[in-house]
Amino acid sequence: MTETAFDGTDMTGAGRTPRGAVRRQLRRRGAVTIGLLAAVLAVPLLPLDPLSVDPFARGLPPAFAFPFGTDLLGRDVLARTLAALAVSAQVGLAAAAVSTAIALAFAVAATFSQTADRIVGVLTELALGLPHFVLVLMVAYAAGGGMTGVILGVALTHWPRLSRVLRHEAQTVAAADYVRISRALGRSRGWIARHHMVPHLLPQLVAGFVLIFPHAILHEAGLSFIGLGIEPHLPSIGIMLADSLRGLMAGHWWVALFPGLGLVLLALAFEMFGETLRRAADPREGVA
Amino acid sequence: MLAVGGEPETGFDPVMGWGRYGNPLFQATLLRHDDDLALEGDLATSWDLSEDRLTWRITLRDDARFSDGTALTAEDVAFTFNTARDAGGLADLSVLEIARAISPFEVELYLREPRITFVSHLVSLGIVPAATYGDGYARGPVGAGPFRLVEWREGEQLVVEPNPYWHGGDIPFARVSFVFGGEETDLSLARTGAAHLVAVPPAQADMAPAGMRVLNVETVDNRGLMFPMVPDEGRATDAGHPIGNDVTADPAIRRAVNVALDREALVALALAGHGRPAYGPVDGLPWDNPEAHLPGGDADAAGAILEAAGWQDADGDGIRELGDLTAEFTIVYPASDSTRQALALGAAQQLQAIGIAAEPSGRSWDEIEAMLHSNVVVFGWGAHDPLEVYSLYHSSNAGQGWVNTGYYANTTVDAHLEAAEAAPGFEASLPHWQAAQWDGATGFGARGDAAWVWMVNLEHSYWVSDCLDTGASQVHPHGHGFPITWNLQDWRWTCE
Repeated sequence: MTETAFDGTDMTGAGRTPRGAVRRQLRRRGAVTIGLLAAVLAVPLLPLDPLSVDPFARGLPPAFAFPFGTDLLGRDVLARTLAALAVSAQVGLAAAAVSTAIALAFAVAATFSQTADRIVGVLTELALGLPHFVLVLMVAYAAGGGMTGVILGVALTHWPRLSRVLRHEAQTVAAADYVRISRALGRSRGWIARHHMVPHLLPQLVAGFVLIFPHAILHEAGLSFIGLGIEPHLPSIGIMLADSLRGLMAGHWWVALFPGLGLVLLALAFEMFGETLRRAADPREGVA
Repeated sequence: MLAVGGEPETGFDPVMGWGRYGNPLFQATLLRHDDDLALEGDLATSWDLSEDRLTWRITLRDDARFSDGTALTAEDVAFTFNTARDAGGLADLSVLEIARAISPFEVELYLREPRITFVSHLVSLGIVPAATYGDGYARGPVGAGPFRLVEWREGEQLVVEPNPYWHGGDIPFARVSFVFGGEETDLSLARTGAAHLVAVPPAQADMAPAGMRVLNVETVDNRGLMFPMVPDEGRATDAGHPIGNDVTADPAIRRAVNVALDREALVALALAGHGRPAYGPVDGLPWDNPEAHLPGGDADAAGAILEAAGWQDADGDGIRELGDLTAEFTIVYPASDSTRQALALGAAQQLQAIGIAAEPSGRSWDEIEAMLHSNVVVFGWGAHDPLEVYSLYHSSNAGQGWVNTGYYANTTVDAHLEAAEAAPGFEASLPHWQAAQWDGATGFGARGDAAWVWMVNLEHSYWVSDCLDTGASQVHPHGHGFPITWNLQDWRWTCE
């Protein structure tokens, strides 16, 4: 039986890479991903207007004035794509942060007592047993849609796998001699959580955060595509792809290609960085 | 298969408003409009208004039958009008004293006061059977119109077939299906060849797929921005919806918006040229008053209006202020309507140039219902008669349903509207309708109170199968219901 991580990847160690190579890969991918994220988050500072319409520039193909072309309302697809990626990044960061925090809280809480562990276990299995996207839809709808709905929808549905991994790690730490000594010395549960649990769980936590990010931005695109995301005139990759269906009918390929490509690149960068992080944090990985 | 939108939320009950723009499909009406919008009899063979303008006497044809085979008589007509009067639905017949059958095929309608627009109810109110009308009628309508309902799956599909008892003759289609899937679904159905007539947003009109042609129909269907007319004093409706907006309650703001908006640009942006600028609610109709209009596209003049009223950009952020107020408001549009979204975006962008921050916001209709007394909303209207003008601007309709949602009230305008309704004839009513818009001193038009800013008059655009002949066109009213189906019984399939 294979053991899987919170993102569903194989943790058995097949295809191991020497740890030095993993670290080099980590630095390289980390720099690319963080650079990409910083660039995308800086988009709102640029003098771009993703909302500006122009009745006399409707449906223009890519050219010098509009490198990504314009849509059916004469809006600059480059400006909208960059602004949409910034929105995606914000949603991704917020949703991943909340989701990771929930996962950590449950994992630590599970070490407090057997009852707490059972409750966390039941909640985790329950959340994992429900159809994933349906749950995202329900939470987003119940939260009233919009950006808040998307963030809550993703955050409240993406913690179980990470929580399961963290819970396992936390139980291992809780059984360690140095933790037992701390307890014998009268340290509180909170003190042990802060000084022993969290530092030990941090690498998995960071990897989990990074790996939830691409899920979050893809879900944001999906929810906005079907009208449950942010308002339809605002820049969002999902909205742009939904709008592009009309442009495609007129042969306007650029209204779909560029936002789609941007989403894939951002998601892929985080996916690869997260995977490398996970491998770097895995003590069984790369044992030569 | 047709994909023309317009699925009625409350079903197909004329008493509750179905078919209020005419041609209710399942029901016959006393009168109807021909393709030149002239009145002609449907159930009525003759119709007369008394000298005192208080009694309509109508003679019915004797061969009309409901789709269940029973005869349609004057009792059914009287029952329908009396029931609609009491129901308080969208068909507002409160002026009707009583309707009485005076013989099997003669009916008289007694009015409380002269009301020149009452004739529109003779055109729009479908007759229901007195014997079987009741709960559930809206979802299982029985009428004497050209079609009868086979199946209605709400939100998905409506299937109709010819009414074998219809008095108008044979219909060459065994069944007609209407699908309700939203803009994207409808366009996809057209591209796959599944739908034979599809209503398309004007911006997409010129992109018809192979095997379909573009049909652009002239309309009186307009789009404008409704302004809340009263300040926010903490009032709310019984349902708790807030009333009033301090910014739009200032006539200088409303007039400046009317002067600033470049309607030609809005037509190009939102309608891809398939429409014309709108300056009032009834542009080009006999009861229009062009004197009430203000020319648009003049940002300097709009800025001067705001300056004169004290709206200045004191802090240099590009947005004007007046005391503690900032010149900002939300333009709410239905998120499912790409044309209204484009209009909201275009208007907001133009208003930025005169120092007004208008923020577009796409919402569901349920959300809009809670916001429409305190926010600017992109609405659409347009009818074949001036009754709608009365509904939109008479103070008695303030806060009533979806009509005078901005709580507009002007006693002089009320008097003009009432004089129009009391006029001895249609021609005599025209000066009063026009005076309500602008009488030289006041009016609801842009030159007066500027209660709305009207932006565009649409063309209704359709993609039609090359094999489908839809016959003569009629100037369409607003899109609720299925205006394109006004002559569905006359359509022909021309391919083998």
